[in-house]
Amino acid sequence: MPIEFKKNRALFRDEVSVEEAEALLEWLQTRPTAKVDLSACSHLHTANLQVLMTAKAGVSNWPKNAELRSWLEPALKSGE
Amino acid sequence: MSPVPPNPLLEQFISESRDLLEASGKKLMQLEDAPDDQVILNELFRCVHTLKGNSGLFTFPEMTRVLHAGEDLLGMVRSGQAIYSRELADRLLDAMDYVGLLCGEIEATDGIDASRALESQHLADALRKLMPNLIPNQDAAAVRDGDSPVVANAQTSPADNPSADLKQFAAIPAVARKSALERCRQGDQLHWISYRPQRECFFHGDDPLNSARQTPGLIWGRILAPGPLPPLSELDTYSCLLGFDLLTNAPREELDQYYRYLPDQVEIIAVPAQWLEKGHGDADGASKALSRAIPSGSFSEDDEAAFNWILAAQRQILLLDDRPAWHAGRLKAIAEVLANLSQAVGETSTRSDIQTALAEALSTGHNTLLLAWLDAWIVTRKTIQPVAGLSWARGTDGIMAAAKTDSNLDVGSATAGDPSKAPADEGVRFGRRAEDSLTGTRSLKVDQTKIDRLMNLIGELVVEKNALPYLAQRAEVQFGSRELSREIKGQYSVINRIADEMQDAIMQVRMMAVSFVFQRFPRLVRDTSRKLGKEVQLVLEGEQTEADKNIIESLADPLIHIVRNSLDHGLESPEVRLAAGKPATGKLTIRAAQEADRVVIEIVDDGKGIDPAVIKQKAYEKGIIDEATLERISDQEAINLIFAAGLSTAAVISDLSGRGVGMDVVRSAVEKINGTVVIESELGKGTSIRISLPLSMAVTQVMVIESDGQLFGVPMDHVIETVRVTRDSIHAIKQTKTAVLRGRIVPLKSLNTLLGIAAIPRLNSDDELAVLLVQAGNAELGLIVDGFQETMGVIQKPFSGFLTGLSAYSGSALMGDGSVLMILNIREIV
Repeated sequence: MPIEFKKNRALFRDEVSVEEAEALLEWLQTRPTAKVDLSACSHLHTANLQVLMTAKAGVSNWPKNAELRSWLEPALKSGE
Repeated sequence: MSPVPPNPLLEQFISESRDLLEASGKKLMQLEDAPDDQVILNELFRCVHTLKGNSGLFTFPEMTRVLHAGEDLLGMVRSGQAIYSRELADRLLDAMDYVGLLCGEIEATDGIDASRALESQHLADALRKLMPNLIPNQDAAAVRDGDSPVVANAQTSPADNPSADLKQFAAIPAVARKSALERCRQGDQLHWISYRPQRECFFHGDDPLNSARQTPGLIWGRILAPGPLPPLSELDTYSCLLGFDLLTNAPREELDQYYRYLPDQVEIIAVPAQWLEKGHGDADGASKALSRAIPSGSFSEDDEAAFNWILAAQRQILLLDDRPAWHAGRLKAIAEVLANLSQAVGETSTRSDIQTALAEALSTGHNTLLLAWLDAWIVTRKTIQPVAGLSWARGTDGIMAAAKTDSNLDVGSATAGDPSKAPADEGVRFGRRAEDSLTGTRSLKVDQTKIDRLMNLIGELVVEKNALPYLAQRAEVQFGSRELSREIKGQYSVINRIADEMQDAIMQVRMMAVSFVFQRFPRLVRDTSRKLGKEVQLVLEGEQTEADKNIIESLADPLIHIVRNSLDHGLESPEVRLAAGKPATGKLTIRAAQEADRVVIEIVDDGKGIDPAVIKQKAYEKGIIDEATLERISDQEAINLIFAAGLSTAAVISDLSGRGVGMDVVRSAVEKINGTVVIESELGKGTSIRISLPLSMAVTQVMVIESDGQLFGVPMDHVIETVRVTRDSIHAIKQTKTAVLRGRIVPLKSLNTLLGIAAIPRLNSDDELAVLLVQAGNAELGLIVDGFQETMGVIQKPFSGFLTGLSAYSGSALMGDGSVLMILNIREIV
């Protein structure tokens, strides 16, 4: 699974496809304080991104991929 | 073999497309039964989408156009804007057929004739006609049709609304702005792309973030939500709410090319350099902080931007977790750059620190120490956070370019070698890679000729191996060495076992499921029954039953004939069925099962059945039977007459069946592969046709018989029994010898006579004749031979050259002692 759901933390791995978005949304809806760990993520589908942005989900670890990080950080930080 | 296109990618495209077309056809059929099934609809959509995407990799606009229309239509069906109907399915099936046709054309000629453009436009229009008129009230971007790009491509004049644009530029961080200005100065034209994906773009397989990330020449980009985001509880995951602003230095043509599939979703504006000059918006605080950090006077604004860039690039390179062969060189280069940078800002003392960090990094192979130093240095220098606020840039700076290329590798791009060409393909390939590698390891596609060769070799081995018992016998009889004989026999049993297993294994390779043939029936039945105005429910059973590839392939045509016949002649129209007290929907069952070493396929319909009286009359009228036969034959025999050539029961000749060719063709095709076909029918209840086929044609079981000192093989399929008949129990009726066997009169014929051998059959010591009872067509016949020998499995080889004219034999086989066994073609000789 590209997203591993822990108790209050979701780990994103590699490429997270559009199919994951629904599950991510449901998961976040029940956990307002949940954080996401993007460190091992190399790409996430826009659908996942907008779920994260809507949920204003906190990011515990930014992607190791610097290029991806430079995209995500402004978008997800502004939501905080 | 079909001509192979020289381009392996194209070859793969064609084979993939065929699979996808097949899958799409199947899904359409399934949708017919369950028009509301979202799962099937989604799968169908994905098939068509992938097809379209793949076709876009090549320059086949005709194909892409039709597929695109189909995809759009399906997208609307999926979102509930259009309604699935039979007409819609018909149009889509037409489109699929057309694409299949194009595939064939591409395969044969490596391209599509330009004349196809008009046809494809018609098909695409037909599909688009089915799309409902766009609902008002919808987000304009969402409903904008692909054919009417409102702002698409138009080179929007910057003068139109400069203030809005200029305000947007304020969002560009100073560093990116500097780097962009640098590009401008080098003569590059900058472009501002405002990318607002359609709401339903996810359903088209688009990933806007990925598209944005892969935009050529990207200098800076940001993600934004053009409208307010809904509360989390009301978010629709599959409706895209985000947009992107991008700044790039790629030429306009490249951008148009990159976004050619989304012309209605992007607005590309040429950006003159002065827009980016300071004064537009607040040249954000970061650059001011930066200029404070750097000794004043020595750095111009451009320099400070460059300084910051270089730092960011180094950090980015250090963050890469790949370990190429040149890793050490890379570290050294970074250390050198850092040392030079620190010197540039007047901190010469740091050089030794850098050297220490480098030495450690080199010895451990970890970047962390250098990274730690760099981060610490950045903090002490009070410069801005390098990565967060900094953009990435690629272009003239060699290191930057290297960093960019490396990060491409990081993402796993298959096209890292040529990033400029890659982006167009990226959207399609993304997310499919994992699948590809999975299927790649599990199965191989092997040319059939290679398998055939392997099978021939194993066949030879099997035959060769049979020579060993003869050798053992010779060792014992001729050379008197019993021990050697026993050893040879021991070796033989081992080789025998291995050869058998090998043969079995190769048979398994050649095995194919009957679903290969069955899968075309849903479509066939649907089309045919609609044409005939009949309601038919098709039931397929035992699709997983396997048989040899040749058998399965040669089964296709006979089965189609039979199914067509059943639909045309067998099943009645709904009114007739209701009048007869049957459900309006007819049922056609195609069932496959394995029985011992044969595959049995049954085609059963619950139609009106075959009226023997009608058949008899027809057959008599057409001169197939004479008057005497007409009186005599049983109903079952009459029904079997439908296999006779030139008989058609349908009063009207349609384009489906009724031309009197069909069932006789079916029978000869089935018999050609050593199969049998039996028909049973009950008037008013239905018809059942049963085809029995060997599992494999490679090994034929034959019974070896002797006649006039020669050996012949008779395929076991034809052998009913072997009996010995005393001479006095043979009676002559007219010219024919007969004998009563198990209460039936069986005609007897001498094999010698049939083969033109001038010898009389040999009697054994009890004055008996050896009679091989064989099935020849529908009749039984006693074949008088001299003696019976064992049955054996042989690899039958058809005759070649001028021997092919010998119809008395179906082929030859090698026996274990190296002699040739002729296999009799029973049907031909009697």
